[in-house]
Amino acid sequence: MLREDISILVVDDVNSIRVHVKELLRVCGFRKIVTASSGEEAKALLETQPFQLILCDWHMEPTNGLELLRYVRNHPQFCGIAFILVTAENTRDRILDAVAAGVDDYVVKPLTQGQIQNKVYSVLLKRKVLT
Amino acid sequence: MTSSASRHSQIQEFIDELSGFAATAENTLSTIESDLEAHKGLFSVFAERMFAIRGTAQQLSLPHIAEIAGFGEEIAIKGSVAQTRPQLRKCVGSLWDALTTVKYLLVHYTEETSEEQKILINRMQVTLQALGGKRPTMSEDEIADILKARSSS
Repeated sequence: MLREDISILVVDDVNSIRVHVKELLRVCGFRKIVTASSGEEAKALLETQPFQLILCDWHMEPTNGLELLRYVRNHPQFCGIAFILVTAENTRDRILDAVAAGVDDYVVKPLTQGQIQNKVYSVLLKRKVLT
Repeated sequence: MTSSASRHSQIQEFIDELSGFAATAENTLSTIESDLEAHKGLFSVFAERMFAIRGTAQQLSLPHIAEIAGFGEEIAIKGSVAQTRPQLRKCVGSLWDALTTVKYLLVHYTEETSEEQKILINRMQVTLQALGGKRPTMSEDEIADILKARSSS
């Protein structure tokens, strides 16, 4: 797929962060970016359209990022979607939980333009989504 | 951010949003203080609010707010497992300091770190150390190594 055809779902309960991440992705050349303010909204959106990548915050209520990751990985239809956690959570135990749950990559905030470019491209290439 | 004007407007939006988080944290702390032992489970709610403030402040390059919110988060986590009343009191005292300063900085985010804030940070460091120190963290490189090891296994 070309990057402008790749659909990305950004999940964060803080609006200013959603707007910021969306802007960073647009600068990278991605055009199909959908945002969700909660894990519940993300699950509903997953049912309505295909996504190739989810960029998700960790701490949200009532479904947190790790729970959303587990939901995606255990879902027969969504389990192949690339998943990057974007969070300020850098405690060892939590990170090991995310790795065990099958996260593709993990970005500790602050997320920069360079970081998003490297991480998103690398995950999409590894998953053979990006050509 | 593409310009200082858009950065300012983004920070303004962030401050509006996080002021709500700070209000929740303040109510939580008042409830904890009303009965330390009975409500110590609420420290985790306070920690979540401080985490939200820290993460957003980090993302918007406001490290002085992120640092104090980070101490608030760690001390609140210690509070949730504190065994003695003096420990609980110490946590609550530190958390009021952290919250008051975060609220002040959310309004005056362009100000340099003052002498008073440096003293506060030092005091929180001492409190946190006395309660067992910060939880172990991982750097970006360590996370990358773990992910690489998983891919190759």
